[in-house]
Amino acid sequence: MPGVTRRTFLGRGSLAVAAAGVLSSVPGIGALVGAAETGAPAADAAGADAAGVDAAGADLTEPLVAHVRDAATGEISVFSGTREVVLRDPRLVAQLLRAAR
Amino acid sequence: MSSHREAPEISKDPVADSTDLYAFVSPDEPDTVTLIANYVPLEGPDGGPNFYEFGDDVLYTINIDNDGDGDADIVYQFRFETDVTDPGTFLYNTGPITSLTASSWNRRQMFSVTRVDDDGPRLLGTELACPPCNIGPLSTPDYAGLAGAAVHDLAGGVRVFAGQRAEGFYVDLGSIFDLGILRPFEEAHNTFGLQGTGLGQMAAGINSTKALNVHSIAIQVPMRQLTANRRAPTQVSAAGSVIGVWTAAYRQKVKVRDDDGGHTWAGPYVQVSRLGNPLVNEVVIPMGKKDYWNAQSPGGDAQFAPFYSNPQLAQLLPVLYPGVFPSLAAYNAGPPAPNRADMVAILLTGIPAGLITGFQNFTGTTQADMLRLNMAIPPATTPANTGLLGNDVAGFPNGRRVFDDVVTIEVRALAGAVLKLVDTSYTPDPAAGAVNQGLTGGPGDVSALGTENYLPAFPYLGVPYSGFAVPAA
Repeated sequence: MPGVTRRTFLGRGSLAVAAAGVLSSVPGIGALVGAAETGAPAADAAGADAAGVDAAGADLTEPLVAHVRDAATGEISVFSGTREVVLRDPRLVAQLLRAAR
Repeated sequence: MSSHREAPEISKDPVADSTDLYAFVSPDEPDTVTLIANYVPLEGPDGGPNFYEFGDDVLYTINIDNDGDGDADIVYQFRFETDVTDPGTFLYNTGPITSLTASSWNRRQMFSVTRVDDDGPRLLGTELACPPCNIGPLSTPDYAGLAGAAVHDLAGGVRVFAGQRAEGFYVDLGSIFDLGILRPFEEAHNTFGLQGTGLGQMAAGINSTKALNVHSIAIQVPMRQLTANRRAPTQVSAAGSVIGVWTAAYRQKVKVRDDDGGHTWAGPYVQVSRLGNPLVNEVVIPMGKKDYWNAQSPGGDAQFAPFYSNPQLAQLLPVLYPGVFPSLAAYNAGPPAPNRADMVAILLTGIPAGLITGFQNFTGTTQADMLRLNMAIPPATTPANTGLLGNDVAGFPNGRRVFDDVVTIEVRALAGAVLKLVDTSYTPDPAAGAVNQGLTGGPGDVSALGTENYLPAFPYLGVPYSGFAVPAA
């Protein structure tokens, strides 16, 4: 997975580029964001309106941060805007772990 | 302190750290309720050049429950935005700040207010100016005028203010957190057997927050906008006259520090601080639960009920002051095991009708740590800083006014002063009604040492101390 590093995942300097780069090079992310945008039941939007906050507005021009919560189960939280989407994707987690080495 | 630096995590995040919450029927506008949430503890007035401010990345809320379930029915959200006029100077201001639009003021904050209720979110005001911090006679020559201009009247009779104020809470931290010393009673402390401690004489209390400032979010709202039926309450005995209030601060889940000194936030907002009743997370909730408590909503507070029904401080008082609280010592020793229904009522459910003549602030059986205000009770004409314990039903724990001596009230309650209300076999120790922190001249003193500058009108907390006039010791 060339070009995908922790820095590009988390970096701010070229946020849109970083997000787009991740999306285009990491299988599964595109589908995930699509699911989040449409509110598909497969995604778990955790606590998006804990304070009555409008959860709309997550789009690809905003920073996108992924947090591997549990490598053993492939559970990942993806944060963008005021949204959090939780997914299980062991294959993606394995790719991320390789990229982080 | 009331809730200053009360939990390990939030003590490292001052701009999101709620310090005090007040809720009272406005004495000069008795058809309204004033709600004040303070943040940013222990501000030294001379703390420049980067003077104190709210967090642009913090969502501040004041929450109202009007149906007794411990969940918010009305949320007032406050968001802040900082503008820097000239990033090329290190100065907060380049000349006297003579108005809220002065070009000499380099770093200013604006805020918005949104009300969220069953009808959804409604923006009440935006680009509302905060006043600057009170710097000194050259930078802020007419501070009261600046602050007055930052009181904003919004549609519907709502009034708001957000900015620096003089700390109104008073407490003798240095003594209380030195193993429970109360200076007026220090001769009775067991001193853990230590000799030559210097203790042993009665002494006046020392107000640890004297001459410090805080940042206040204050909102004054017509009562009818806070009740479930949208009518102003008139019956003290009516359940709908009581609201539960708490403040909470939220941050987004993820923060990424960038290489350029900036940072990025992402994810949903999560609660990092909350405050209903004073001192609860401070001295009721144990160390291992404090951060967790701050992240929870009042509606789930039944999980913390054991800490309220057998509070550690009530256990400690007879140990630290041997022989002073014999009734409490016997009650603590049991059998049966202590079950402080009085503390549960005061802090978690409100006080039911029938216990105190002409008073109730019961919100039902749901246990939720909220400041409960019976809005049908008018402001007191002769208030007592000991509130309900001083037969002043308009004071804490019926809401909380800026001058209420909440430390004395809660210590007395923990010492068993009102336990008899729920356990008629209990005889309170005389000391339970006398213990105090030595910071007031008596119950009628509503201007404790160091808090002389309370205001008679909104926002009630006084003009902040000037950095020039009150430099750090």
